[in-house]
Amino acid sequence: MNVMSFLKDSVEKFPTKAAIIDEERSLTFNELYQEVLKFSSHLGSVDKNVVSLIAENSISFIISYLGIINSGRTAHLIPPEISQTNMLIQLRSANSGMIVCSSVTKNNLLKYAAIKIPSFEFNEVLSRPIQQTTNLKSNDLAYLLYTSGTTSEPKGVAITHTMTEFTTNNIFQVLGYTSSDVDVLPLPLYHSFGLGCFHTSLRVGSTLVLLKNANNLERILESIKMHHATTLAVIPATLTKLLQFEKDTLADYLSKIRLIITNSTAIPKNTVQKFKEILKNGNLATYYGLTEASRSTFMIFDKTNGREGSVGKPAPNVKIKIVNEHNDSKEGEIWIKGNNVITNYWNNSQADKNLVDGWLRTNDIGYFDDENYLFLIGRNDDIINIGGEKITPYEIEEVVKQIPGIEDVAAFGIEHEIFGQTIKLNIVKSKNSDLDKSTILSYCIKNLEKFKIPTKIDFVESIPKTDYGKVKRFMLK
Amino acid sequence: MILANVLSNESEVKEAIKKIFFEVFPNLSEADFSWNKEQKNYARWDSFAQLNLITFTESKFNITLSLEESINIKSANDLFESVRSHLQ
Repeated sequence: MNVMSFLKDSVEKFPTKAAIIDEERSLTFNELYQEVLKFSSHLGSVDKNVVSLIAENSISFIISYLGIINSGRTAHLIPPEISQTNMLIQLRSANSGMIVCSSVTKNNLLKYAAIKIPSFEFNEVLSRPIQQTTNLKSNDLAYLLYTSGTTSEPKGVAITHTMTEFTTNNIFQVLGYTSSDVDVLPLPLYHSFGLGCFHTSLRVGSTLVLLKNANNLERILESIKMHHATTLAVIPATLTKLLQFEKDTLADYLSKIRLIITNSTAIPKNTVQKFKEILKNGNLATYYGLTEASRSTFMIFDKTNGREGSVGKPAPNVKIKIVNEHNDSKEGEIWIKGNNVITNYWNNSQADKNLVDGWLRTNDIGYFDDENYLFLIGRNDDIINIGGEKITPYEIEEVVKQIPGIEDVAAFGIEHEIFGQTIKLNIVKSKNSDLDKSTILSYCIKNLEKFKIPTKIDFVESIPKTDYGKVKRFMLK
Repeated sequence: MILANVLSNESEVKEAIKKIFFEVFPNLSEADFSWNKEQKNYARWDSFAQLNLITFTESKFNITLSLEESINIKSANDLFESVRSHLQ
């Protein structure tokens, strides 16, 4: 199967049911299918197999994405807010033959003379001559993403139809998605998290309510209420922001929600606990995965499971092992194997060294508890070594975030002549906060071991992050 | 430097340093503290506690102590003298 067969199945079962609702219009499954076929047939001759798609969340994005795939090509998804330099790097690396984009993006692109690849707005594609499409094969590449790069420059990750089917089946089976669901999605479709949610809706024939972004909390809540939504997908930062609403108000808006799915960026434990109380008829869930090994674990925070810090158990038919070269503790690097794992990176032999006999070395550190629940500790690169004491930045950040007047914080290692490394904090203060460094240190000394006390604190305007909300620590060091 | 002016009074500087000692060593009692009591006589004054004392002091007085200064601090009085030399 491939994502087009997901759509075809849903067209057969629910032709007149709403498939996608965005902020401007909606399409039934049959209308979506017809639009995709039309778009696909107009893609015409492209002398290369990769077509780059640069656009915000919209129905046009979905038609273009499926249309590119239906034409037998690979959809290369580029975030519209990407820098021109990085866009050029990606386009060259992907060997893209065509760009499909929104009008806003096209206007920006045309100003950039270095890009010689032909670019078309969505509507312009439909004015191209009709051409026969090719049959899809399961080993074909469905889409190409560049990793968000928390530790280094982005790497190209191409996903086959087989991998997509495997991952989508795991998502809907473990999390119980059905055609009765109405799924609110404010996550970008050009990333693995949002795209996986879209594939799942298409697979089960549920209705997808697509929002442009997750910053408008009121719109998210109103959309949930208006469309009688049953699921919501958001990053942990959005969950924490939602808690600014009155608990009863939030509980009312979320009363029909059976599932909120979030990703494995560290979720504050008290956020998990609060959502356990707020969701009267549903559960918060998370997963652990990388673009190159999507949805490798799942964790449902039901009322009886107290493991708020876990990312859950391995997904069906996914193997995970902890590799500790010194064999001196149960903690080690997380390795993943399964049909959700890529066989190689996109034209990147250096990155391919992370793939060993089908296992992906994630560079993430974690451990399993006695009941096979996986806990993440951090990334190998993020570990701070202070005179032999190894510390993850997350435990520092979790404590510091509790201080009133702090909006955001990133902890990272800085060089120290005696200890090798010590901890530095970059802190974003809340608006009108008069917090000073001494107050922060006083709080730390009361709540952290003495080797975890930061030696430097800077107040900053913002913390550099990926679209998933992961701190780009390599930019801080 | 505003803070330095406010704390230019020697007793105020001493009071601030004493407060830092009680923050870094929360189990320290008033009777256990003395300005000349040396590091070796503190049960919990190890290299990490030394680091904490320096960090708190730098933050409180908005100064930077050199590595050599930091290493040579063996008592509350040493820390006071070091701070005083920066505030002069």
